[in-house]
Amino acid sequence: MEITDSVLHGTPLLALRGRLDGTAAPAVEEKVTILLASGATRLVFDCSGIEYASSAGLRVFLSAAKKLKTAGGRCGFAALTPPLREIFNISGFLDVLEIHDTVESAAA
Amino acid sequence: MTQLTFTEEIVLLALDDKSGAQLHLPVTALGYGLAGAVLADLAVAGKIDTDPERVTVLDPSPTGDPLLDPWLALISAETTAHPVAYWLSVFSDRRTEIEQPALDRLMTRGILRREDKKILWVIGLRRYPTVDGHERTEVRTRLGQLILGEDLPDPRDAILISLLHGCRLTDHIFDGPEFAAREQRLATLAKMDLVGREVATATTEAIVALTAAMNASVPHM
Repeated sequence: MEITDSVLHGTPLLALRGRLDGTAAPAVEEKVTILLASGATRLVFDCSGIEYASSAGLRVFLSAAKKLKTAGGRCGFAALTPPLREIFNISGFLDVLEIHDTVESAAA
Repeated sequence: MTQLTFTEEIVLLALDDKSGAQLHLPVTALGYGLAGAVLADLAVAGKIDTDPERVTVLDPSPTGDPLLDPWLALISAETTAHPVAYWLSVFSDRRTEIEQPALDRLMTRGILRREDKKILWVIGLRRYPTVDGHERTEVRTRLGQLILGEDLPDPRDAILISLLHGCRLTDHIFDGPEFAAREQRLATLAKMDLVGREVATATTEAIVALTAAMNASVPHM
């Protein structure tokens, strides 16, 4: 999986491309941990390149959202691909996570 | 004390607080719940991963936990990947091999004790009354607050709620009007883990099959 980090309108952005599975999940988790350690209280995942997410991938997303919320911050998930939206729907993530149509609106 | 595994949590929460007797659950529900707990333990240990199609082995090396390693070895020995439902069926058929070591460890931890009685001097009755109720109270309080509130669960709590709901233990643990009013919230939380959802499906299918078999055995008038 390709992970690209950047900042948009002052908000840390992690763009994920490829398969978010048990092999890729630790690297994403590490990025989140580094961001949290740097004091970030806002994070947006650009999900427009995610082809697939396993249970391990979903746990990383949930963990990141929980940690950000516990720290008094927010975690947004933007531009979900159809396969990811379907998995989010089945798992109830659409009801509990902050979902945005675009990265721009998530970082605004 | 090290954190309890999901397997230990399910075994502990499936016992009545006072008597130590097993709670009354639908047929095979606890077997599926324990099977799901083993899969969940292996998943959070980074040994396996799951999706709606299959269970994938990420790392076949032992965890070092004798409660989990026989099951990891079983999954790793397969040459083809099977779906979660397959392993729930295989593991639940060997339920006592999951349950007894977990009970033994809970006794070693000082949480439970074993009590053997005889009914009418003949029938043996084994129960596991609580010695230290701290863990059980803590997990019930924490999960209860999640259900009654609107907070996000962390992945571990999401998995545990999903497993408990899947094997119908939530009906026993979270009863009362305040929880009845939060049925939708509980359903949302219970959806969050794939293995828990599969446990729920397997349990429901077993109940339906049993009901159909019972109806078929009733003579038609």
